[in-house]
Amino acid sequence: MKVSQNWLKKYIDFNLTPEQFTEKLSMLGLEVEAFEDLAKKFDKFVVGEVIERAKHPNADRLSVCKVRTGKNVEQIVCGAPNVAAGQKVAVALIGAVVPYNQHARDGKPFTIEHVKIRGVESSGMICSEIELGIGKDASGILVLDTPAKAGTPLAKYLGQNDVIYEIGITPNRPDCLSHIGTAREIGVLVNKKIRLPKIVLKEIKTSASKFAGIEILDKDKCPRYSARIIRNIKIGPSPKWLQDVLTAVGVRPINNIVDVTNYVLMETGHPLHAFDYDKLAGHKVVIKTAGEGDKFVTLDGKERTLTSDTLMVCDGERPVAIAGVMGGANTEISDATVNVLLESAYFKPQNIRRTSKYLGLSTEASYRFERGADIDITVTAADRAAQMIQELAGGEILKGVLDAYPKKRKPVTVKAHAERINSVIGVSLSKAQIISLLKKIDLLSRSISKNEILVTVPAFRNDIMEEIDIIEEVARIYGYNNIETKTHAAIDFSSNVRNDEFQNGIREFLIGSGFNEILTIGLQDEATMSLAGKKPVMAVNPVSAEMAALRTSLVTSALKVVKHNQNHGVKDLRLFEIGNIHLLTSEKALNSLESYKEEERLLLVISGNRQPACYGNISQPVDVLDIKGEVSVLLSKFCLDNYSFIYYDTHEILSEECVGIEINGTYAGFFGKIKKQIADKLDIDEAVFVCEINIETLRGGWVRDRKFSPLPKFPIVTRDLAFTVDVTLPQRNVEDVIREAGKPLCMNVVLFDTYTGEQTGKDKKSVAYDLEFQSPDHTLTEEEVDSVLKKIIEAVNERCKGVLRG
Amino acid sequence: MLENINQTKQEFTNELQNTHDLQQLEQLRIKFLARSGRIGGLFEGMKTAAPADRPMLGKALNELRQYAQLHYDAKKADLEQAQKPKEIPFDLTLPGRMKNVGTKHPVIQVMEEIKRIFISMGFSVENGPEIESDYYNFEALNFAPDHPARDMQDTIFIADKILLRTHTSPVQIRVMEKQKPPVRAIMPGWSYRNEAVSARSLVAFHQVEGLYVDKGVTFSELKGTLVAFAKQFYGSSIKYRFRPSYFPFTEPSAEMDITCYLCGGKGCRICKYSGWLEVLGSGMVHPHVFKAVGYDPENYTGYAFGMGIERTALLRYGIDDIRILYENDVRFLKQF
Repeated sequence: MKVSQNWLKKYIDFNLTPEQFTEKLSMLGLEVEAFEDLAKKFDKFVVGEVIERAKHPNADRLSVCKVRTGKNVEQIVCGAPNVAAGQKVAVALIGAVVPYNQHARDGKPFTIEHVKIRGVESSGMICSEIELGIGKDASGILVLDTPAKAGTPLAKYLGQNDVIYEIGITPNRPDCLSHIGTAREIGVLVNKKIRLPKIVLKEIKTSASKFAGIEILDKDKCPRYSARIIRNIKIGPSPKWLQDVLTAVGVRPINNIVDVTNYVLMETGHPLHAFDYDKLAGHKVVIKTAGEGDKFVTLDGKERTLTSDTLMVCDGERPVAIAGVMGGANTEISDATVNVLLESAYFKPQNIRRTSKYLGLSTEASYRFERGADIDITVTAADRAAQMIQELAGGEILKGVLDAYPKKRKPVTVKAHAERINSVIGVSLSKAQIISLLKKIDLLSRSISKNEILVTVPAFRNDIMEEIDIIEEVARIYGYNNIETKTHAAIDFSSNVRNDEFQNGIREFLIGSGFNEILTIGLQDEATMSLAGKKPVMAVNPVSAEMAALRTSLVTSALKVVKHNQNHGVKDLRLFEIGNIHLLTSEKALNSLESYKEEERLLLVISGNRQPACYGNISQPVDVLDIKGEVSVLLSKFCLDNYSFIYYDTHEILSEECVGIEINGTYAGFFGKIKKQIADKLDIDEAVFVCEINIETLRGGWVRDRKFSPLPKFPIVTRDLAFTVDVTLPQRNVEDVIREAGKPLCMNVVLFDTYTGEQTGKDKKSVAYDLEFQSPDHTLTEEEVDSVLKKIIEAVNERCKGVLRG
Repeated sequence: MLENINQTKQEFTNELQNTHDLQQLEQLRIKFLARSGRIGGLFEGMKTAAPADRPMLGKALNELRQYAQLHYDAKKADLEQAQKPKEIPFDLTLPGRMKNVGTKHPVIQVMEEIKRIFISMGFSVENGPEIESDYYNFEALNFAPDHPARDMQDTIFIADKILLRTHTSPVQIRVMEKQKPPVRAIMPGWSYRNEAVSARSLVAFHQVEGLYVDKGVTFSELKGTLVAFAKQFYGSSIKYRFRPSYFPFTEPSAEMDITCYLCGGKGCRICKYSGWLEVLGSGMVHPHVFKAVGYDPENYTGYAFGMGIERTALLRYGIDDIRILYENDVRFLKQF
C-alpha cells in the first residue's frame, strides 16, 4: 500500500527522515518496502518571475530573459514562443537535472550548466511541462499561477514535496490499510494521539428516508449497510490537490464524486461506492445473493457470471453492484449524474474473498472487505464523503443516514493474564506497564483481578480475539528488540535425535566416486514424464504446462540435465540425485492422501568417457559394465552381499541392456542403458546409462553395525582355470557352479578373461578364472587343492557343458 | 729401490692425469698394474733387495699398489660414467593421471550446514510428505478457510483439498501428532508455490522448519536460539533485529533480519539499499495449532521458525539468478 507523508501529517505530527520512518515503522511490524522522495526530482528547480524579456541579438527565435529566482536575478536565454514578462515560470537552476530533454530523440535527462547561447550568457532554463516530466505539453514553457512566489521550491509549488512510502501490510492488519490506520501506528512511535478529520455536515431538511429504502435479505453476508443521498451535485474533474494526492498513492483520478469515495477509502480504509441515484429502479437498495449462473456487467465493462454465493446490491428490479467487489455499469456515475446514493457498508470477509477469488477480480474494496473492514465506521465514512462531495461538487445532503444494522456488534473484550503474557514473551512486566503499553494502540484495558486485565477491543482491530493476540500486541509495542536474548533450554536426553546420516553417507560415498550431485524440480511436462511409463500425479492449476506433472522417476528430469550439459559441450557426465518421486496408487480417490505415494530415490547417471580427458588416461566411452561397477561398489559398500541382480530383457526406459536390483529379496530398482527412442525424443546423441534405486529399500539392506571377522592366518593358494562353453551361456552360470563346487576351500573366484575366436570356434567362448583357496585352520597341500579343482572341473563339465582348456 | 718406487708413483700419477678414455686407461693398467707391469716388476725386484730393507720396501710397495689401484678404479668409474649415454630425467611437469571429482550440490551443502548446527543444539530431523492435505498445510496451521492469509502462499492443487505443500510447516503438525512434548525438531524439504519462474523465485524450493515445544519456552528463548544459529551460520560479528510480522500459525510472529554482509549494512542492491537481509520467519506457536494437535496451550508453549535454503545459498555464494541452481550445469556444480 502506498501512503503519502504529507497526507499522514494531517492526522499526526511527526518529524522523521524517510530512513528513520522506514526503520521505525518496520520494527513495529509495518514493513516499509520502499520510499520515493518526490522532492528530490525537483532539487534546484524554483518558481521564477520573468522581469524582463528582450530579443536575442543574434537569433530571431530566442529571447533573453531576466528572471527573479528568489534573492537573485538570473539571465536566461529561452526559445519558447510564449515567454513573456510578468509570468511566473518553472526555472531549472545551474546543477538541476531536467527529467526530459524534448530536443533529443532519446529524451535522456540532462544537467543545467552555465552556457553561452549564440554569444549570450545563460544561467538556467525555463522549463516546459514535458521537460519537467509532469505533462505532455512541449509547445512552450509552463506558465504557473501568478500568486506563486519567486524562489519557492518548485516541488512545493507542484505539491511534490512529499515522500511516498510503500508499506507491506500483513493480512491480519486491515486496519492499517489507510492513512489514518498508518497514522495510528506512527502515534506509537512518537507517543501522540491522532487527530481525526472534523466532520461538519450541512444537511437540508428533506429526509433521506423519504427517497430510498434499504432492505438486507442476507443478514449474514451483509451485517450492515449505510447510505447517504446527495442531490443536485455537479459532476466535474476534482481540484488539482485531490488529483495530486490520489495520483501520488497510485489511484487514477476520475471525477469529483468517484475521487471523493477513493479519497475517503485511502483516508479511513473504508470502501465506499457511489450510485447514480436516478438509475436505481424503485429508489431502493436490496442486498441479496445472486441466482446461480446470473450474468452481470461490472463497471469495467466486463460481463461476469455469478453464483448463488455471490452477494449483490440490487435496486427494485435488478442487481446494481457485486457487493464489496465492484459496482455495475448500469448505475455508474456519469457526467449526467445529478443525484447520488453513497453506499458505506460492511460485508462478511469470507464471502467477499470467495467472490473475489471466484471472479478473479480483486479491487481496493474487495481487498479490504475480505480482510475485515471496520463495522463501526460506516456512518462516519459516509458522512465524511458527503461533506467532501458537497465541498467539491456542491449539492444538498439529505437529512439522515440510511442505516440498516440488524444486529449491532457487541463490544469485544478479551481477558489477559499478566503472568501468561510474561511467560510467553519471557519478560517481567507489571500489570500497570501492560495496561499502558496497550493504551498506546487504543486497546483500553482495566484490571479485573490481581493478575488479570480486561481489554476492550475497538472494531477496527478485528484481528484481536483472544489472549495470545493481546500477548502479541504487548510484545510488539514493548519492542521485539527490547526482549532479552536467552537460551536456557534443558538438554533433553530422552528424545531420540534422528538425522539422515544414511543419505549423507550415500552422498559422501558417491562424491568420493567422482559423481556430481544434481537437484531437479519434481514438476515436469506430462509428455516427458509419460516416457517413464507410469501415469503421473497431475497439478490441476499448474504454473505452466512444463511443470504440470509430478515425476514418477528421477530419470527423465536427469536426462534433461544431460541434454543441457551436452548442449554446453560437457559430455563426460557422472551425476547423481537423491530426490522424491510420486506415484498415484488409486485414480479413484484423488481426494484422499492415501492415493499418493511418495518414494525417495537415488539416481546415478553416467555418459561420455570413462576417465577425464588428460595425459595418460585412455579415452574410452562408458558402457553398461561401468554403471554395473558403480552400482556394485555402492551396494557392496552399504549392503555387503545383501543384494542381487536380475537380468531382464525389456524395460520402459531402458534398452535390452537392463538389470534389476534386489536387496534382501525386495525389488529395489534397476540399471542399464537408456532406450534409443527415449534418447531420441530428448535429442540426446550419446549413450546414457542410469541406475535408479529406492532409498528405503537400500536402507533396508544397509549393514550399519559391522562385526569383525578374524583375518585368515594361513596362506592363499591361487590357480587359474579356463573353460570352453557355449557362446550364449552367461559367465555367471559358470562362476556360480565354480563357487558351489569349490566350497568350502575356494574362497574367491574372479573372471579375468573371456574370448571368442579361432581357437574356440564362433559358437563357443573361453572363460578364464582366477581361483583362491584358503583354509581357516591349516596350510593347504597341493593334493587338497587338486582334489577341489577336480570337483570343480567335473561340475562345470556336467552342468555347463564346459570343457577345460589345456 | 725406494727412489724407483717414488718415481713409479710419480709417473703413474702423471700418466693417469693424461688419460682421457677407457682404452688409454687399459694401457695404463697393463703398464702399471698388470702382473707383469711396472709395479709387479718392482715386487719382483724386492727379491734382490737387502733383507733388512725388505719390510720397509714392502710397506712402500704395498702403499704404491693400493694408491694406484684406488686411483685407477676412481678414474675408471669416472670415464665409464662419462661414456654412458645420458639418462633423460623424468618430466615431472607432466600432468598427474586425473580422476573424476565429485561435488555436493550447493543447496545441499547449505542445508547440511544448517542441519549440523541445529543437530548440535539437540534438534532431531523429521520429514513429511510433499503432497499434503489442506488440513495439514493450512487448516491445522490456523489458516482459516477463506482467509486472505492463504494468499500469502499461492498453491498448486492436485485435487480438491489435496495440494503440494507450500511450506514445510505441515511437518510440524505431523510431528506433534505422533509425539508428546517436549518436541525439538527441524524439518527440511521441498516446498512448492504457484509463482511465475524468475531470477528470484522458482516453483519449487527448499525450506527448513524448526519447532521447539516444552513447558516454559519463551519468545526470549526463540530469540536466543536463532541468534545462536545466525552467529554460527553467518558469522559471530553479525548484527540482527527481530521485526514484528504475521504468520497464522505463530503469535507473536517475527522476521529475523541480519545486517547485509555484502555491504556491511551500508545498503546495496542485494539488500535493496536497506542494509538488512531478511533471513527467517519465526514466532511462538499459536494456541490454535496446539489445540489442533491435542497439546494443552495452558501447559505448553513453543516456538517455530522457517527459512528458505535457495535464498540463503544465493547470498552465501554470490549467485544472482536462482534458476542456475537447478540447471545443473556441471561447470557450475564443479565450483562448489
